[in-house]
Amino acid sequence: MDKQYLIDFETEVKERYESGEIKAPVHLASNNEEQLIEIFKDVGKDDWVFCSWRNHYHALLHGIPRDTLMDMIVRGKSMSVYSDKPKFYSSSIVGGILPIALGVAKSIKLKGGTNKVWCFVGDMTFETGIFYETYKYSRNFELPLEFVIEDNNLSTNTPVDETWGGKQTVPSDVYYYQYKSEYPHHGTGNWVLF
Amino acid sequence: MKYKDEIIRSMEWLGEKEDTIFLGQSVKYSGNAIYNTLKTLPEEKRIELPVFEEIQMGMSTGMALDGLVPICCFPRFDFILRCMDALVNHLDKMQHMTEGTFKPKVIMRTSIGSKKPLDGGIQHTQDYTDPIMRMLHEVNVVLLNEPEQIFPEFEEAYNTDCSTLLIEWGDYYNEK
Repeated sequence: MDKQYLIDFETEVKERYESGEIKAPVHLASNNEEQLIEIFKDVGKDDWVFCSWRNHYHALLHGIPRDTLMDMIVRGKSMSVYSDKPKFYSSSIVGGILPIALGVAKSIKLKGGTNKVWCFVGDMTFETGIFYETYKYSRNFELPLEFVIEDNNLSTNTPVDETWGGKQTVPSDVYYYQYKSEYPHHGTGNWVLF
Repeated sequence: MKYKDEIIRSMEWLGEKEDTIFLGQSVKYSGNAIYNTLKTLPEEKRIELPVFEEIQMGMSTGMALDGLVPICCFPRFDFILRCMDALVNHLDKMQHMTEGTFKPKVIMRTSIGSKKPLDGGIQHTQDYTDPIMRMLHEVNVVLLNEPEQIFPEFEEAYNTDCSTLLIEWGDYYNEK
């Protein structure tokens, strides 16, 4: 799966949304294709992936079939893409996936499993207390939980650095990348008549 | 059997199941009445957690997603308000959001704080049964009023394929 494949997928979602076919919010991604392709080289097929509302690229890269994902999005489930195989869950509440991911990682360790849990969060989520608690617990108990911080310095349209008055230092054992999307928080930037 | 004895019997029955795990505050160390209903269980079945109710609730959901049956213990109903996002926005929405694919089974225990012989005060004795019943749709809510209800309700909570919140009366530990 290459960068163009991901871009083409989001372009099709954009077109179908603008045609009025998708009657629910969509959160499109752009300009983070290369970073995600690189990170997903480390994600195993039996690993769990937890994501937020902007999750189409993650779902494709973790192996959710293109048609399955597109069908889900067209049915209005862009913000809550899920899959049992491969293991994938997303939520549209800031920070909500963190403790759930922690629990899966705790269970894997208790049962002696070898797979991992990946938790993709935005930079606003990274600044919250729930991230701090989840990160601390996972590291103190050496749980198989990897964090990926996707930093666009925005939470909807709220600038993260301005509202917090600064940003935390990113721990060295956390994946981190910055990007600037061409799409708005949700929708495509064009008026759609449903 | 008396109210508290029925709870202990239920916990011991759940403790015999291979897939159950008990977690929360005062599950391994004394400090709240709930400890006295769990102290006969093997140590390896009990995970004492920090005081971080939202994480505890979400963590239980995650453990359930991976196939365990967590018995998630909140010593007082008042403390559950600290985990409402994980409970209402996540655990209680998961079947809907995943179109029935994920059905995490979490058994939650809490207690309406006792007022006799000591009154714990307004932050430790509230009964939120009615509002929480109205808020939760996928999670069963059961108020344990009588001793004879207790074992069958915990049995049902384990045997069903969804999550259950079981609410105890702290005062009944001594009264019934």
